[in-house]
Amino acid sequence: MTEWIISILLLIGGSFVLVGSIGLVKMPDFFMRLHGPTKATTLGMASLLTAAMVFFSTTQAGVSVKEILISLFLLLTAPISGYMMIKAAIHHKLESIERTKGIDNIEDDV
Amino acid sequence: MTLLWIPLLSLLGSIISSTTGKLTRNQSTGLTLLMPVIALLMTISLAPAVFSGEVIRETISWIPLLGINIAFRLDGLALLFVFMILGIGILVIFYARYYLSSNDSMPKLYAYLMLFMTAMLGIVMSNNIIQLWFFWELTSISSFLLISYWWHKPDARKGAIMALTVTGGGGLALLAGLLLLGNIVGSYDLDVILASKEIIQGHAWYEITLILVLLGAFTKSAQFPFHFWLPHAMAAPTPVSAYLHSATMVKAGIFLLARFYPALAGTDIWFILVSLTGLSTLLFGAYVALFKHDLKGLLAYSTISHLGLITLLFGLDTKLAAVAAIFHIINHAIFKASLFMATGIIDHETGTRDMRKLNGMWRFMPYTATLAMVAAAAMAGVPLLNGFLSKEMFFAETLHQQLLGSMSWLIPVLATIAGALAVAYSARFIHDVFFNGDPIDLPKQPSEPPRYMRVPIEILVALCLVVGIFPNFIVDDVLKAASFAVLGGYVPEFEVALWHGFNLPLLMSAIAVIGGLLLYTQRRYLFQFQASLPSLNAKKTFDESIYRITKWCQRKISDSENGSLQRYLMLMFVFVLLFAGWPLFEMNQLGGQKQLTPIDVHNAMGAALLMVGTISTVIWYRARVVSLLMLSVVGLMVSVVFTRFSAPDLALTQLTVEVVTIILLMLALFFLPQHSPKESSSVRVVRDIAISAGLGIVVASICYALITRPLESISAFFLANAKTGGGGTNVVNVILVDFRGFDTLGEICVLGIAALGIYKLLVNLPLVIPASDSEGRPWAKERYPILLASISQSLLPLALMVSFYIFLRGHNLPGGGFIAGLVTAVAFILQYIAHGSSWIVARLTINYRKIIASGIAIALFTGVGSWFFGRPFMTTWFEYFDIPFIGEIELASALVFDVGVYITVVGATLMILASLGQLANEPKEEVNT
Repeated sequence: MTEWIISILLLIGGSFVLVGSIGLVKMPDFFMRLHGPTKATTLGMASLLTAAMVFFSTTQAGVSVKEILISLFLLLTAPISGYMMIKAAIHHKLESIERTKGIDNIEDDV
Repeated sequence: MTLLWIPLLSLLGSIISSTTGKLTRNQSTGLTLLMPVIALLMTISLAPAVFSGEVIRETISWIPLLGINIAFRLDGLALLFVFMILGIGILVIFYARYYLSSNDSMPKLYAYLMLFMTAMLGIVMSNNIIQLWFFWELTSISSFLLISYWWHKPDARKGAIMALTVTGGGGLALLAGLLLLGNIVGSYDLDVILASKEIIQGHAWYEITLILVLLGAFTKSAQFPFHFWLPHAMAAPTPVSAYLHSATMVKAGIFLLARFYPALAGTDIWFILVSLTGLSTLLFGAYVALFKHDLKGLLAYSTISHLGLITLLFGLDTKLAAVAAIFHIINHAIFKASLFMATGIIDHETGTRDMRKLNGMWRFMPYTATLAMVAAAAMAGVPLLNGFLSKEMFFAETLHQQLLGSMSWLIPVLATIAGALAVAYSARFIHDVFFNGDPIDLPKQPSEPPRYMRVPIEILVALCLVVGIFPNFIVDDVLKAASFAVLGGYVPEFEVALWHGFNLPLLMSAIAVIGGLLLYTQRRYLFQFQASLPSLNAKKTFDESIYRITKWCQRKISDSENGSLQRYLMLMFVFVLLFAGWPLFEMNQLGGQKQLTPIDVHNAMGAALLMVGTISTVIWYRARVVSLLMLSVVGLMVSVVFTRFSAPDLALTQLTVEVVTIILLMLALFFLPQHSPKESSSVRVVRDIAISAGLGIVVASICYALITRPLESISAFFLANAKTGGGGTNVVNVILVDFRGFDTLGEICVLGIAALGIYKLLVNLPLVIPASDSEGRPWAKERYPILLASISQSLLPLALMVSFYIFLRGHNLPGGGFIAGLVTAVAFILQYIAHGSSWIVARLTINYRKIIASGIAIALFTGVGSWFFGRPFMTTWFEYFDIPFIGEIELASALVFDVGVYITVVGATLMILASLGQLANEPKEEVNT
């Protein structure tokens, strides 16, 4: 039973990470590319960590909570790194394609 | 323990006298005299045992594993020297009280004198030849300080440097000689060496050893041609000259000859080298002394000449010659010290030492004149005085040798000529200064000196007389004991007496006295002849040769060390290639017996990533940020590799170090151009590629050869003993804080020093902050985004908790002080990035230098703590405790040590970062780290 749960969680996490990575490669401009690694991959990582938590809690004595802490760190830091990268991109006035939305709303270098 | 106390007391005296600056001159002198007087009394109490033939030894084991001990011994020879060093030292200290003017710092002179005394006592009492050498060098250094006592005079400085150069150079030769000697015998123990005459003299290295040891002795005791430093050392205050050139410094060389006489003497090469050097020094010194107008110059060359005489005696092939040498050591010390002191009085009272001005002093200071005349007569070898007795013995011994084969008769003839010259310069000393008309423009009106200034001279002159008239009464015991030690247990029958009947030595003495007086009366012709000779300025020659040597060295250094880091790296790598690569060609087969593990997908991918990262770093080296990013890929991959091959501690360390390094490099890059220009020519690029490729091949081959062979290492011991001996299951951590704790202590010291160095380099460094980035864009207006700031601030407690957790579990699971320190540092670095230095500095007023110091102190005192329980340094203590609600926990002293490591790491890392970060933000503001 636990094996099933772990497997499903791993698969979910794996596919999220994969989608994120494909996005990183395939998206046409920087602003779009950033979506993949910041959102999809972070979610995927959370799922993978849950799998790890289940695995260690069932195979070893006691409940493993380290993974929750790691997830917390990830969920806190991923948005920040995304945010910092976007700020840098705006500062550098990177090219974007027309379909990218919201560029017009950005004030110059705030 | 008495023996050890003798040099220790005088060392203590040096410290005491250096603190007497606020006291009066009398109090300062009294306090300084206290220690040597006690030491002298102790020596006297030991004397009867030594006279009865006993050798007193004392050993404190210091590094027993290397056979290094602090060892002292007192035999007859050492006893004689200890008496002279302490006795004349006490008189000199007393004398200096009246000699020094109120402008001179008395405590300074006394402290140096006592330090010098310690060094001399150490030389004569050492029972270990390396220890002997240590004290030998200490005399060179302390005599340097003494000679340059009047450091504002160029003469004093130059004389001191010359003395240090010559005697220091001789000291190096001596060290080489002593090391060879120790190697031949297999022990640095003096007792063993003195008993191994046959082994030493039968050894192939005997000649070279002898020459090296003699070089040390001859430079120290100013033998020709190394004599030139001694006259220049006369720039020292006269009490110093009286001490250094009568009983101590120059006698150290003589002592060395006497000390190793039982082990090294007895061969032809010894006799030839020692006697010929002594003979030429004897004649040369006596001849030059006659022409010196400076009183101290005359005494200096006379000292050289008398040292030559003693050396010659040690080089003569008879047992009695050695006895005569020892006797003359005593006599020379007595009359020369008193002569120097008398000269000091004359200089003190008249303001000059020039014999062309000093005339007719008899009328002004009859009492001092009488004393000086008696001492000078002793120097000349006039009967009823001590100098006569040893000179008679010397003449007698020159008749009993066959050194030069059929030409051996030359030696007594030359000795008589030297004796005549000695009479001539002694006569000049007496007649020119005290009679010979009236003084010519003296700077001062001469008069008798203060009453007590004469006391030391009176004592010494009385000794000259007593020894001269009743030789057996005073010196017999000590002379016999010293001869016993020098001759290795056999003392020939001899009788020191005033009257031996009419014999050849007496005739030689008579010829010397009459000839000397004749020489002196006819000196005008000699002076004219001497003036026609080309003059040789030792100082100029010395300065020039030193200048040339320094120039040559500078050129050689700038040839090899031109400041180019690329070049240093290149040379280093080429040498690594040569020395590590060469043995590979001598191996038959690179691979060993062990099977390689099969390659799986993960390993292959990791290896590929590593290679890609490495190659990319090199390819994009001119775009520095890109290159740095690629470098971080390499670093991260390495830490992954560590994890894969079960080295979690290493992986954690590597990871945190990597993070800190990359951030620091980023900060540094901020100040550097973003792109390195193309500087290397194509030829250079090819050369560099060749070197690095060669290096890569060599390292890879060595690694391959190593991993395919079974490796025996100490790891098994650590694995077996970590839990039982160190109380922890994390072997890596137990090694760090326990087994190799001493190494760790050294390493955190290095870390602290490195951080201090970086701080010192960066503080007040005038760096220009670029106004824009490399593409001309201005910096962002919002320097510290609020989102980053608030989130990173909230992360701080979490990160600190993690580091605390890693720290606590370190003893049993991957972690420990070092890693935890780095994690903490990373957490703080994030705050610096998010908020900027000024924000942090305003909130965190911590002095990182104190943090580093306290970290090292904690680690050190944990180690010292084990001493209080009677254990060796850094013994770990651990115990298990049962605490309610928490359960059984282990407390170990290693944990406290680890706290020290942790604090040091945090302090050092943050100090480096803060120094760099401060530059980036507010370069003009005072850096508060």
